[in-house]
Amino acid sequence: MKTTPLHNWHVAQGANMGTFAAYEMPLWYPAGAKAEHLAVITAAGLFDTSHMAVLTIQGPGARALLQRCLSKDLDTCIGKDKTPLVAGRCVYGIFLSPLGGVIDDAIVYQFTATQFMLVVNAGMGATIAAHLREYSGDEQVTVDDLTDQVGKMDLQGPAAGRILAKIIKDPAALFRKMIYFSFKGSFDQARLATAEITLKDDTPLMVSRTGYTGEFGFELFVAPEHIAKLWQQLLEAGRDEGLISCGLAARDSLRSGAGLPLSHQDIGDWPFTNNPWLFTLPWDADGSGFSKEFIGRAGLEQSSESSWTLPFAGYDLRKIPLGKESRVTDLDGTPIGVPLTCTTDMAIDRLGETIVSLATPSSTGRPEPFSPRGLCCGFVKVNSPLAVGSQVLLTDGKRKLKVEIRNDIRPDRTARKPIAQMVSSQE
Amino acid sequence: MKELQELHLPENLGYTEDHEWAQLTGDTIRVGVSDYAQDQLGDIVFVELPAVGDSFNRGDEFGTLESVKAVSELYLPVSGQVVAVNQELEDAPELLNEDPYSNWILEIKPAAAEEYDQLLTAAAYLELLQG
Repeated sequence: MKTTPLHNWHVAQGANMGTFAAYEMPLWYPAGAKAEHLAVITAAGLFDTSHMAVLTIQGPGARALLQRCLSKDLDTCIGKDKTPLVAGRCVYGIFLSPLGGVIDDAIVYQFTATQFMLVVNAGMGATIAAHLREYSGDEQVTVDDLTDQVGKMDLQGPAAGRILAKIIKDPAALFRKMIYFSFKGSFDQARLATAEITLKDDTPLMVSRTGYTGEFGFELFVAPEHIAKLWQQLLEAGRDEGLISCGLAARDSLRSGAGLPLSHQDIGDWPFTNNPWLFTLPWDADGSGFSKEFIGRAGLEQSSESSWTLPFAGYDLRKIPLGKESRVTDLDGTPIGVPLTCTTDMAIDRLGETIVSLATPSSTGRPEPFSPRGLCCGFVKVNSPLAVGSQVLLTDGKRKLKVEIRNDIRPDRTARKPIAQMVSSQE
Repeated sequence: MKELQELHLPENLGYTEDHEWAQLTGDTIRVGVSDYAQDQLGDIVFVELPAVGDSFNRGDEFGTLESVKAVSELYLPVSGQVVAVNQELEDAPELLNEDPYSNWILEIKPAAAEEYDQLLTAAAYLELLQG
């Protein structure tokens, strides 16, 4: 079993540990997964994500290799104006097999025109490195798999900026123009050089305005020897802001409510079509075709995939356990597919037809007081493109649960809010 | 996660391999889940209870507990008819995390009293957990 550098801390805190991608990871701490989920919605949570793998792709051919392998078009992937990826920006994309199935999802960071960093899922470093090398052709490019050589943690929630500001040497400089999906600093200037960001004690770190909870926050990268210190500094800095450590259970329920897929569960070795995440494909200007050649393009274009992956939300917090017996049926009980993720977003509840979150402003519909009981949510893979509002049943062979097909689950997420607003307001 | 020696396993209860407890009080038996069960489940957020008057055999599934991460079936330690359910749990399922013993789940009138004597003692249950 693999562990992260924070393993002893997790165990000493009394975390309930479980296995995820061959790593022994905290599922929740004594505060409990519900308190952790709610902390990220109303205050902040700190996640150990050092199990995720970091790779570097460097050399004159690095960009061309990524263009060939990643689903995003690096020349048109930024913003409404579809400008190219530049230094200091990052994008989310998918690595596809030639048949159009998902190998893994990733975030690509551009340091310079010839230096890129990738973050992929736990245990996928070697696989993605081998995939990139296989398709590197004549390009002058070096792919390094830094699995277990980079410390990473995610600080997520509306208070994340105010907490981070307390331990950073020059927070005003860090937060200047720190828009969603941008980053600053480096965890290793010798390997990936850029303008330095440091803690007050001069420890260098990389700060990325990303995360996988749907909420405002940062992913922080440091050399492994600094991770315990950074973790402690953040928890201390966040004590007055309601920051708590969070495990993988809260991470799973937060990302599900935010409509984000878990690789190898919601996306996987079936063609990457008919799902809510097609924005990661390199659509041309009118959306009728693709703007570049890439591995998997032919597979997608020739795919006869006849399943559709759709988000759903239930009517109360009850879930069904996923297993061999779990199915999606129509209201008459006829099987029409399988549930991929089924979890409970503890921060939301229904108010008539509307879903309201603890983060919903009272001016736009959150009643006071509001004590949500949570709603079951996740993704189903079904054999027809069900309309939003359709009802289906989830079953584990014994229990049946009626749920509604939706476009979106948890409203009023904070991930894209302007940083100036998030670091100044006390709301 | 609690270490096994940190678990609270009262001596005066009978236990099952499925992590329920039973306590004979007069001519009825109260049933709940063990400290181990609540600790493993984590935050309990929903309790599905049977109706008063329902009858079950020993080992029958009589309800479910849902935590944030899992759904877990409840199995009856002894045969009998439900004479009371703990309604408090419907609004405050987290009580089972706070104290799984004072917060019982249901009360039954046993159909075969000798089944109670066949339950595990606290020591035998701990031994089972130690594997």
